[in-house]
Amino acid sequence: MSGRLLLPTASPRETRRAIGRLVRPRRGLAVAALGLLVAAAAAGLLVPPLLGRLVDVTIDRGTVSELTAPAVLLGAAAVTQGLLTAVGGLLLARLGEALLAELRERVVARSLELPLEELDGAGAGDVLSRVSGDVAVVSQAIRTVLPAVATAGFTVALTVGGLVLLDWRLAVAALAAVPIQVVGLRWYLRTVVPIYRRERVVQGERTQQLVDSVSGARTVRALGLHEDREARVRASSERGRDVALEGVLRLRGFLHAVNGAELVGLASVLVVGFLLVRADALTVGAATAGALYFHRAFDPVGELLMVFDDLQEAMTALARMVGVASLPETARDGAETEDAHRHHGPVDVDVLALRHDYGGSPVLHGVDVRIAAGEHVALIGTTGAGKTTFAKIVAGVLEPSAGDVRIGGTALGDLGPGELRRTVALVAQEPHVFAGTLADDLRLVAPGAPDDELWDALRHVGADGWVRELPDGLGTRVGEGGLRLSATRVQHLALARIVLRDVPVVLLDEATAEAGSAGARILEDAALRALRGRTSVVVAHRLTQAATADRVLVMDRGEIVEDGHHDELVAAGGRYADLWLAWTGAGRDAPAG
Amino acid sequence: MPAPQATAVAPPPRPLRPLRDAVREERRRIAISASGAVGHQTCEALVPVVIGATVDRAIAPGDTGALVLWIGLLLLLFVALTLAYRTQLTAGERAIEHTQHRMRMRLTRRALDPVGLDPAGAPDDVAGSTGALVSVAGTDARTAALGIEGVVVALGAVAAIGVSAIVLLTISLPLGLLVLLGAPPVVLLLHRVAVPLEARSEEQQARAADASAVATDLLTGIRVLKGLGAEAAAERRYRDASQSARRASLAAAVPDNVLAGLNVVIGGAFLTVVAYVGGRLALDGTISIGDLIAAVGLTQFLLGPLQRIGWALGLLAQARGSARRVAALLEIPPAVRGGTTPLPEDRPGALRIEGVGLRPDGTPATTGLWIDVAPGDHVGVVVPDAAEAARLLDVLARRRAPDCGSVRVEDVPLDGLAVADARRLLLVSDHDADLFDGTVGENLTADAVPPSAEVLAASGVDEVLAVLPAGLEAAVGERGSRLSGGQRQRVALARALAADPPVLVLHDPTTAVDAVTEQRIATGISRVRRGRTTVLVTTSPSLLAACDRVVLVVDGRIVADDVHDRLAADHGTYREAVLR
Repeated sequence: MSGRLLLPTASPRETRRAIGRLVRPRRGLAVAALGLLVAAAAAGLLVPPLLGRLVDVTIDRGTVSELTAPAVLLGAAAVTQGLLTAVGGLLLARLGEALLAELRERVVARSLELPLEELDGAGAGDVLSRVSGDVAVVSQAIRTVLPAVATAGFTVALTVGGLVLLDWRLAVAALAAVPIQVVGLRWYLRTVVPIYRRERVVQGERTQQLVDSVSGARTVRALGLHEDREARVRASSERGRDVALEGVLRLRGFLHAVNGAELVGLASVLVVGFLLVRADALTVGAATAGALYFHRAFDPVGELLMVFDDLQEAMTALARMVGVASLPETARDGAETEDAHRHHGPVDVDVLALRHDYGGSPVLHGVDVRIAAGEHVALIGTTGAGKTTFAKIVAGVLEPSAGDVRIGGTALGDLGPGELRRTVALVAQEPHVFAGTLADDLRLVAPGAPDDELWDALRHVGADGWVRELPDGLGTRVGEGGLRLSATRVQHLALARIVLRDVPVVLLDEATAEAGSAGARILEDAALRALRGRTSVVVAHRLTQAATADRVLVMDRGEIVEDGHHDELVAAGGRYADLWLAWTGAGRDAPAG
Repeated sequence: MPAPQATAVAPPPRPLRPLRDAVREERRRIAISASGAVGHQTCEALVPVVIGATVDRAIAPGDTGALVLWIGLLLLLFVALTLAYRTQLTAGERAIEHTQHRMRMRLTRRALDPVGLDPAGAPDDVAGSTGALVSVAGTDARTAALGIEGVVVALGAVAAIGVSAIVLLTISLPLGLLVLLGAPPVVLLLHRVAVPLEARSEEQQARAADASAVATDLLTGIRVLKGLGAEAAAERRYRDASQSARRASLAAAVPDNVLAGLNVVIGGAFLTVVAYVGGRLALDGTISIGDLIAAVGLTQFLLGPLQRIGWALGLLAQARGSARRVAALLEIPPAVRGGTTPLPEDRPGALRIEGVGLRPDGTPATTGLWIDVAPGDHVGVVVPDAAEAARLLDVLARRRAPDCGSVRVEDVPLDGLAVADARRLLLVSDHDADLFDGTVGENLTADAVPPSAEVLAASGVDEVLAVLPAGLEAAVGERGSRLSGGQRQRVALARALAADPPVLVLHDPTTAVDAVTEQRIATGISRVRRGRTTVLVTTSPSLLAACDRVVLVVDGRIVADDVHDRLAADHGTYREAVLR
């Protein structure tokens, strides 16, 4: 990876503050949840002294009826602890989920507002890993780590408290376990956790190899590459296995430390209990209770130590989420209420001295062109000529290095984001069908549009036929996890979105590419219909698109080198004419334009 | 549910086979790990017994010698405990990791096998989709292997319960019976309650995961959203998904927490009964105080193994489900079957398509497609119907067997050759051929033959390299995602040209490149493939104009056969298909 770090990550302090801000409006809930969980742990800690009481009664040769009270209390403590655990856990989940939902919505909202330049290249991966990977880590932590930390933490704290109540010297004895635990934990964090991190990276690479090989299986078979691909998957799978095993080898040291701490703590409590009983400072029952206290805390402490790494990881993920969520919000100027502002007829577009470079390498050098209202312009040129950059700048999704674009006389920069989107739309090279029903996909550009309106748009571009034949019509699930649409249909939908968006200026960037030649023609017809009555620039791939346009612009190395109607350019015998001759074979009679 | 004929094709599911094979292959490690688990759990069970004995023999009478003895025994117990756990963990993890690796490689080999996967023979949840295959080879291989851990943990838990039972029975028959007879119903009860609750929780968690899919989807399509100014609508859509995920997570938290609470209540109630009965027995003098403490401690301890049995059963159920998907994938029948004819020595590139049916309704061989291509000829094939073109290419590429007719190269029927050999004679390069993660250079030499400068120029890759600062060393990203469609297509074309097969079939190799480059490529292909049999399945006039002859295929048959110029001038259907 290029190592380009794009999005901010919050510092621990900023993260804590952000969490504080999220919790503040839900203070009552937080207090209730934590209070109940503390009470639950307290109820649980009544058990050892009650058992100790039973022991004392038997040692003192008490009566059977003296056993009843501690037994009943034991039962009551269990029921109370169970109830409080359930309710407290639920409240904690409610709090955690509410915080998480608010935070992740902010992360996605800020991500959607990021400028396109930042999303290009390595940035896209960073954004995606934050909205899916980091969110998943944090929600997993909220489901498992948070309750574990809450209950185990309280249990440990209250165990120490319980021991102090029995005799402070028992508590001191129990604390003999702590230094070993600290050493073990440090070893774990320093030695085992990095291996776990590496394991996840290696697993990611393995998945990547699998995806690459399996999704390219057709090509693998065609070129007989199966042995090579299998060797790559094998290498990555073996790496995953070896790292995992290395992790286990290291983990053993940590587990020995955990067991060692249990031994030392338990032995100390027993020895101190022995000394105190002999000095008549403690009853045998209390000494028993002390040992049982400590024994009961084995599991929660182990659990607490084991989730420490998840906790750390969740904090890292949280910092990355907070980093994005804290980006400044982009101002909105009523982009939501576009229905009130439907345009009235096409407008003209002026491009003045447009220059652009990407990181020092110039792509456009001074493009000047005026496109009249309602004119259909075809843009022709080789890859790298600057066609896509031109389209992105005119559509206002890319900021030019220099120069000016005016739409209907207003500079792009002076249109607010909402107004800009009501004026100009770009159909980009990369087609995408959004997961969900087909109607959902279309409504992304026309929120709340009734079905009739969607059908009108589909009919307008000639896509109503195949949509009607889908299993559930507009309700058919498409995109990821749904019905796979052909490239032609995907572009068909993109054109229907343009009709629904209903803007006066449209830029169509190689919209017919990769559809195969048969589909291309259907789409050219659809595009013509979708663009009728709008000012349009089509980055043309097939020359038939150029032949039917009002005007053809030929771009080369960032400049417009020819400009005119198809017939004029063919007659002029320049670059375009050469192309046209090659395209039509020996240059026999040109098809009717 | 699949139609009857679909079930007839699908093999009988043998879900446990991969799991059984795995256990057999790893039986030594599994046995070691299981004995470690038994030892570890036995030691754990003895800890409360030693606590009780220490109180009884050392603390109560104030006997220093006994204290030293029992603390020493405690030390030995912990050494045994931690070593046994070490054994369980090491051997168990080795068994799991080796098993999942082996299973994954078996799956990968099957997925990439030259004979292909017959989509009709695949069950719904492992059907040909890449995502499903990847998830089976990635996640299911692991989950199935984790069944080993389920077995080991269950054995350890059974041992712990057994040891506790023996200790309890030696302490006191009634107390032992109380625990032994009481525990199974308690476990059963917990398990009965847990299963539906856990199922509900998992279902809700799956729904909660949807929100992340929505976010990924929206951000993947961000260029579309930005181009249309639909960011606000997208944000609203995510908020809806996030809120319904929140509700689902809360719904999942209800059974989770009810279960946690129930565990506490049931365990506590059980403990109370044992403590009370034990207390009465101790008062009678039937058992000692040490016995009472041991019994109470064991009861507390027992809840762990009892719950672990339930957990292990859950793990095994999941492993079974995954193993079923693994088995199903391994048993998908091949898409084509190869023969044993040896690859011909002399390969001038004579191609004959003999009566191949292209219509989905099936065509008799006599009326199917017949094309004869002489060695070294360049033939354009125009198939206006996309479905017919796809079928022709599938048959040529040996991705499916022809319904009727056959394809011969060098007078050898393709289906008589081993599948990989057939592709060595006749290579089909698709317009959307895949690139693999790595550099441009690695992709170009995928077939071990680095392309010549001539090939790079002919495919227009020279221009691609000129644009990329790192040139041949430029990383293409996953599936070539860092290159534009046109760049990807040219790299794939160069790769196919470099492979230099006797017969090369190119399907629409220039759909994503601009008109200027397409023209260059058309002449480039003619130059590089001069004297080598080449078939261009396309409707691009530039490419067709460069062919020696062009055939037009309508309704699965040739309706015109001539050079491009004459067809373009005279043939109405051809003009409609190619020039319009």
